[in-house]
Amino acid sequence: MSALLKIEGLSKVYDDDSAELAVIDNLNMTVEQGEFLCILGPSGCGKTTLLRCIAGFERCTGRILVNGEQITGPGTDRIMVFQDFNQLFPWLTVEKNIQFGLKRQGIRDREQLARITADVLKKVRMHGYGRHYPYQLSGGMKQRVAIARALALKPSIILMDEPFAALDAITRNTLQQEVLAISREENCTFIFITHNIQEGIVLGTRLMLMEPGGRIAIDIRNPIARPVSPSSPGYGALWDRLYAALYDTQRGNPV
Amino acid sequence: MQKKPALRDLAEKLAFAAAVLALWEIVARAHVFGMRSEIIFPRLGTIAAAFVKNFVKGYAGVSLWTYLLNSMKLLLEGMGIGILLAFVFSGLSMVSRSFHNIYSLIVAVADLLPGVALLPVVIIIFGVNPGVIVFLVVHSVIWPMSRNLIDGFRSVPKIYVEAGKNLGLTGTGLLRRVYFPAAMSYIVSGLKVGWARAWRGLISAEMIFGIAAAPGIGMYINQMRTNMNNAEMYATLVVIVIIGLFVQYGILNPVEKNTVVKWGMRKL
Amino acid sequence: MKRTLAILLLVLVCAASVSAEGSARLTIAYQYGLAYAPVVVAMQQGLIEKAYADAAGGELEIEWVQMSSGADINTGVMSGSVDVGFMGVGPALTGISKNVGYRIFSSLSGQEHGLMSSDPEIKSLSDIIGSGSQIALVNIGSIQHIILARALSLNGSDPHALDANLVAMKHPDGMNALLTGSLPLHLTTNPYIYRERETEGLYEIEELKSAWPKENSFIVGVAAIEMHDSEPELYAALCSGLSAAIEYVNGNIEATAELTSQYDGNAVEDEIRYLQMGNYSAETRGVEEMAAFMFENGFIEADPGSYADLVFDNVKGN
Repeated sequence: MSALLKIEGLSKVYDDDSAELAVIDNLNMTVEQGEFLCILGPSGCGKTTLLRCIAGFERCTGRILVNGEQITGPGTDRIMVFQDFNQLFPWLTVEKNIQFGLKRQGIRDREQLARITADVLKKVRMHGYGRHYPYQLSGGMKQRVAIARALALKPSIILMDEPFAALDAITRNTLQQEVLAISREENCTFIFITHNIQEGIVLGTRLMLMEPGGRIAIDIRNPIARPVSPSSPGYGALWDRLYAALYDTQRGNPV
Repeated sequence: MQKKPALRDLAEKLAFAAAVLALWEIVARAHVFGMRSEIIFPRLGTIAAAFVKNFVKGYAGVSLWTYLLNSMKLLLEGMGIGILLAFVFSGLSMVSRSFHNIYSLIVAVADLLPGVALLPVVIIIFGVNPGVIVFLVVHSVIWPMSRNLIDGFRSVPKIYVEAGKNLGLTGTGLLRRVYFPAAMSYIVSGLKVGWARAWRGLISAEMIFGIAAAPGIGMYINQMRTNMNNAEMYATLVVIVIIGLFVQYGILNPVEKNTVVKWGMRKL
Repeated sequence: MKRTLAILLLVLVCAASVSAEGSARLTIAYQYGLAYAPVVVAMQQGLIEKAYADAAGGELEIEWVQMSSGADINTGVMSGSVDVGFMGVGPALTGISKNVGYRIFSSLSGQEHGLMSSDPEIKSLSDIIGSGSQIALVNIGSIQHIILARALSLNGSDPHALDANLVAMKHPDGMNALLTGSLPLHLTTNPYIYRERETEGLYEIEELKSAWPKENSFIVGVAAIEMHDSEPELYAALCSGLSAAIEYVNGNIEATAELTSQYDGNAVEDEIRYLQMGNYSAETRGVEEMAAFMFENGFIEADPGSYADLVFDNVKGN
């Protein structure tokens, strides 16, 4: 069985007039169906760029294949959940935001749309908020709706770029638990970027650590059985290992 | 609690209007501008009577209604064409860099030209017909509207565009379903500026270019001025103000309330 | 609030009284074009000031204002900021009928009017009636409009038969529209009518020529009744200064042309020809007849009265 996502010789250079800056240099990796991949790394290591390349927002060299087919741009098989709370369209209600992509896919039947909407809203515990406009929601609620909007389209991969980084610690923990629950129910692959080690260990079935220049320093299967808590056996050792690696890469980072 | 400030705002506006009218009446009665100031500065009662007379009797047997309807028809036609073209050209500016480059130059230059100064050229191109007035209305609407649209499109947050692409939009769909609603607050300000400019542009054009077979409100004002019927002239200005207020409070504000305010993109 | 209002009123009253003050000051409003040539001469040569100095021995300060329509000058006279104005006989009679507070103190000039056609099918007024052919003229209700109505009336037609054919636009715009074929007819006056007559392929509608010949008053001077009554010496100086200017124009056409061509932008030779075709005279002609015609045909609402009501005692003519 071939991998769900296959990246071959990916390079991305930001052409900044004066200097060329290679953010990612000849990166190769694969992601299997059903994996929850957490990518850790210091700021500027290229993890967001990698995610944006996979989403199809960036021009890059090399090949990115999803289900064996090379991608050419953004698509509904790879839905991005951004860090910014303002990713929902403010001119649409919560339910219209969720149905937006579905309608583009040609689903016109009202009942079907309503059923899918209710279903995904329930999954993110936002049922009853369908008629609200985004500005009426808190940051955490907006991120939940953004996840629901992604789930509704049944993508092959959900790409999450530090979606909880701007949330308070309590909301963040709650949302981690919900995403974890969703990932176990849905037959969906996640690539989740974070610089929070705890978040990575709690959510990821696989953990990856990137160094500046887009090199992969660590790529391991998460050895701790779910559900993970700080008291789970092995948590401390794994945390220490990732922390040391992260600290190391950060020290090597000129920025 | 929500209603209170709105009522207070209204009361303030009415009190101000009453004060202005009272001052007018005092100035009119005091003959501040000499013995004959009644003619140039008529009392409110005289203006009110002229207001009625404008509609009942009109000028040379033609009621002000006829003038108004002619003007409104040309105005709507001109605004419709102007807004449509502004959308098309601003949309194209988002698609093609060269088009944007050239179009923004056109907007910068054309917006500076006073419409009435173009009249001789416009007459040569369009001939002597109401199309000339429509053209001048289009001219007064399209440039400020385009400016607002382009500014609006360019300030659409990248995240909406990327989210839109991610959810399956391309090309005109992206323009229609993301750029337009995201730029709505610019579009509404564009409409406000465009409407005021169109209304003024129409009247000033009609004041110097009047086709007797299709007489407009600007021509009416001019006739009242020529005949020294100043009360009737002021009454016509009152009509213009009433229409302007109706459009502002009856159409544009509700549009704003039902879009950008409802979406939380702007406070009222 | 009361205090603010009181202060505002005080300011307004002061402003009004200041502008009415000053005995040897005069504000004269005139308009653009060759029909106003004697006014330009009087201004440049200080003829009214001279007349005042000779008769009263005082110094007179005149403020000259160029305005763009008779209606503007009427407003100026009414508000007391203009003492003397020069305008078409039409707006002058409108002002008198509206009790603006002035009368005619002199005629200034008569000019030729003409209706030019670019359509060989249109050679008389009866060709236009019922055709829908558009006629450009400077304003609805203007003297040109009244002259057209008079031509129709003299021809036995309804004076308002062509009202729906009119298109209001400035003289030069009307000429451009005629020359480019945007419309077939243009009713105009000096100097545009001469240029159009010299253009090939245009035909003149003959009936209009005689409707208001150049011997009749076209531009007149009006003076505030208040000024006439309270400052007879100033009024006398105004009349004699202006008649000296008219005399000068008639006697020194070339010198006048040198002067006015600077303002009009015409070549001096053209200016001389155009001046010769005008009729400059202080004596009025046709004013009473015009007043009666305007009143009968609804161009003014109130009866302006007889000749004695229209002009000051010293004015000669009819």
